[in-house]
Amino acid sequence: MSNLIIGASSGLGREIAYEFGKNSKNVILMSRDVKDLKVLRSDIQFKHNINVEIHELDFSKLDEVKNFISKNLDFLNRIDGILFPIGMMIENDTIKNTEEEFTSLFSANFYSVIFFISKIIDIFEIKNKGFIVGFGSISASLGRDSNIGYSCSKSALERYFEGLIVSNLKTKINIQFYKLGYLNTNLSASKKLLLPKGSPKKLAKKVIKNLDKKDLKTYFPKWWVLIDYAIKIIPFVLSKNIIKYFK
Amino acid sequence: MYKKKIHSLDKSYFAEILFSSPDKYKKFEKLSYESDNISTMGSCNSYVPASFNKNQLSIELKNFNRIIEFDKKNKLITVESGIQLSELCSFVLPHNLWIPQMPGYPTITIGGIVATNAHGKSCSFHGTIYKQIKKIKIFHKIHGWLNLSENENKEIFELTIGGFGLTGSIIEVQLKLEDFLGNNFVTEIEETKSTKDTLNKIKQHNNSEIYYYSWNRTDNLKNFGKGFIFKNKKNFSKSLIVPKKINSSINNISSNLILNIWNDHTIKLTQTFYYIFFKYLKSKKYEEDFNNVIFPFIGKEIYFKSFGKKGFIETQIIVPYKKLELFVEEIEFLYKRYKPSITLYSIKNFKGSKRFLRFEDDGICFTFDFINNYNNLKFIGQLDKICENNFLTPSIIKDSRLKLSTIKKCYHEYEAFKNDIFQYDKKRIYKSAISDKLQI
Repeated sequence: MSNLIIGASSGLGREIAYEFGKNSKNVILMSRDVKDLKVLRSDIQFKHNINVEIHELDFSKLDEVKNFISKNLDFLNRIDGILFPIGMMIENDTIKNTEEEFTSLFSANFYSVIFFISKIIDIFEIKNKGFIVGFGSISASLGRDSNIGYSCSKSALERYFEGLIVSNLKTKINIQFYKLGYLNTNLSASKKLLLPKGSPKKLAKKVIKNLDKKDLKTYFPKWWVLIDYAIKIIPFVLSKNIIKYFK
Repeated sequence: MYKKKIHSLDKSYFAEILFSSPDKYKKFEKLSYESDNISTMGSCNSYVPASFNKNQLSIELKNFNRIIEFDKKNKLITVESGIQLSELCSFVLPHNLWIPQMPGYPTITIGGIVATNAHGKSCSFHGTIYKQIKKIKIFHKIHGWLNLSENENKEIFELTIGGFGLTGSIIEVQLKLEDFLGNNFVTEIEETKSTKDTLNKIKQHNNSEIYYYSWNRTDNLKNFGKGFIFKNKKNFSKSLIVPKKINSSINNISSNLILNIWNDHTIKLTQTFYYIFFKYLKSKKYEEDFNNVIFPFIGKEIYFKSFGKKGFIETQIIVPYKKLELFVEEIEFLYKRYKPSITLYSIKNFKGSKRFLRFEDDGICFTFDFINNYNNLKFIGQLDKICENNFLTPSIIKDSRLKLSTIKKCYHEYEAFKNDIFQYDKKRIYKSAISDKLQI
């Protein structure tokens, strides 16, 4: 059995890889940072004695992803489940992003992910089993003036995964989507936040524990569900004025 | 990268620094290329400000904590430098291997022990970490990635071990592991009547794998030097080797209580209690687990915190055997004169050869912890003079207060180290508050 982790070289992806190791499950790690992947592979192999395969692939370049898939169809056949703990952010991600910046952000956070899924879902349907796990962001719940490309692409991903869940209600493919609040990763290290950060280790444990569950859309940390509902209930006219007040 | 307020463990130095903790090699390289001056940080557990400097970037390597190679047959392990001793032990001990040069706290990183040439309790037998290091990989902003060993870039290899991180960021280290058979330790306690008595007993075991170290009283002149010698022997009688897990969820060692609880009364009270406990209540021979012996400060972090905001001063001095008598007489004389408030006094054997700024020599290592106050500073100032006049070896990495003039007099290769570092890195990119003090 092989579990593919896209974006495995750091943060949540790295924690998930270790969690698979602790559960004696083989993994395939994919990331654009091959040097980090090599070290991660050796560490997991020495500590947990499992098979770890690595592949260098840059999800911010859709053409690279297409090219990889077209050349590695056999590789896709070996996969039993796939997780996308991938999230690309850039500095000064605003409405004034260049075309190149928007393209990279949308490729990494959305296009490459859905393209990959569109290819693997056929294989899972034939096998009549498999799991696909996506990770969104609470930042996708409301329009904002910072991290705009990131939040737009994560919003699109959330809708896509909802569609994926609905499309697979009668199949044996497990579709799961985690909407994430603040996580204690490098991305949030410098930020003074009003709310506490969730532990990537705890989330990784939860993800592995939930792999058998069908049609899952959940929040981490759990209490973000209340904030998300509140954002959805408040009309945009009102939320716009709240933002204006605090600016 | 963001601003962060930070201080040394002894609370002698506070600074606002630029801080970053990359989790990828590309990010690490980018940060290094973009900064004029850099410090590399492990767990920031040093007594002195060795991994940071005011308004300067410190790159923390806690995410670089993985095992790269493990060759059980040849007892070699290559690790990233951010790996903590607890993580390393958790991996190698189940294979009945370890490194004997373990400083006393499990969150200390391998990069940290290389940069400070750390030692453990058995330094008279195993020497310092220098003996275990086979290869090092460093990254330098100008020189790039460099492999260092006895056979490759030997000059930089020598400058890097005990070089306070001034040759670049230590990223990978290959260590020679030693056998660790048995599961735990048997500790024997021997009473000692004075410093001289302690020295006579300890000197007899200066080439033994058994850990000999003392705890000596300092609460008044009559009791000065009285105490116990602890002997930790590996316990081979246990046939069952159970996996040894080290708990890595350790308390924050660097925080502090609002007030300093140490004074002459509390020192007397705790030392009297400790003495009575070991003399009358504790068995003279008992089993101890690995953590208690190797990482004695686990669970006792309150000791460091209880010095309050002003912190403490630790002085560690290696005294060559031929100068021991003189040193002990001087210490006892100064104790009578200044009546310093000493919270910890300990003695152990040491073996090594003095090179560059490494804390090494053949002799006896004396350790004193002091409350940070005026009277104690006067006493320690006199200790400095003894070190200067007798060419003793005071520890740079333990004592923030140590003056450059003393270091120059006690470390005869100071100028050689400085010149070699400047020759290697003319722009002097890798710096810290310690290197500023050293004018390197």
